[in-house]
Amino acid sequence: MTDTAETKTAATPETAAKPLPRVSPATDILEREDGFYVYMDIPGVRREDLKIDINENELLVTGRALQGASDKETFLEVQFGPGEYVRAVSLSDRVDRENIAANLKDGVLTIHLPRLEKAAPRRIPVNQA
Amino acid sequence: MVLDFNTLYTFPGRFERLFEDFFKPQYAEGRRMAYPPLNVSEDETAYYVRSELPGLPLDALDLTLTEKSLVIKGERPTEQGKYYRQERPAGFFQRVVVLNVPVDREAVRATLVDGVLTVVLPKCAQCAPRKISIDVA
Repeated sequence: MTDTAETKTAATPETAAKPLPRVSPATDILEREDGFYVYMDIPGVRREDLKIDINENELLVTGRALQGASDKETFLEVQFGPGEYVRAVSLSDRVDRENIAANLKDGVLTIHLPRLEKAAPRRIPVNQA
Repeated sequence: MVLDFNTLYTFPGRFERLFEDFFKPQYAEGRRMAYPPLNVSEDETAYYVRSELPGLPLDALDLTLTEKSLVIKGERPTEQGKYYRQERPAGFFQRVVVLNVPVDREAVRATLVDGVLTVVLPKCAQCAPRKISIDVA
């Protein structure tokens, strides 16, 4: 983890109380006939803990995955843990921002970014002064 | 490791990074080790095996409990389309958890919530250590 990421985590008030390690989720970006699709593996994130924000040219996904274990358990082997998934995807101008749809199923977030319908070519009338 | 000393090379930062990686490699290493990542824990009543398996319905998973091991098997599907970026692993995977402890085989349960698989292996009541009283003849 880089230094910048850690200072960012400390600066946000809600994460300052319980700092979680930041994880960049594995992401697939692909194109189909009806637009772009983004798939993100975010296991353990519930729908309420997931936020998707669109800034100007950036789509930011943040989600918190909490461990389902109780305090009484002792761990014999740990290969994954609670974390905060953060990933930004930049949007191209060809994406129709009004119709972006997101769906969370079985720990995979699917974001559909439809292509912007091309404006039909038209002729501009020339006015005579 | 190659050290290069050009102007774009942030020497102290890189050096610190090296130390950081050396002293806390467990998290990153654990992620890279095997797929899927597993957590194994226990409490007084049961053993828990948890695994991150996003994008798989429970019926696409094959859980086998053999005499001495728990085998998690499955295949992650690939999406169709023109890929720009592919980071999610795809294909067949298998992990074997060796059970060196007796478990109540009939009461093993598995749940899959939000892409996290939890297998609960209850400790068997009959196998709990018992005191044997020795009668003096």
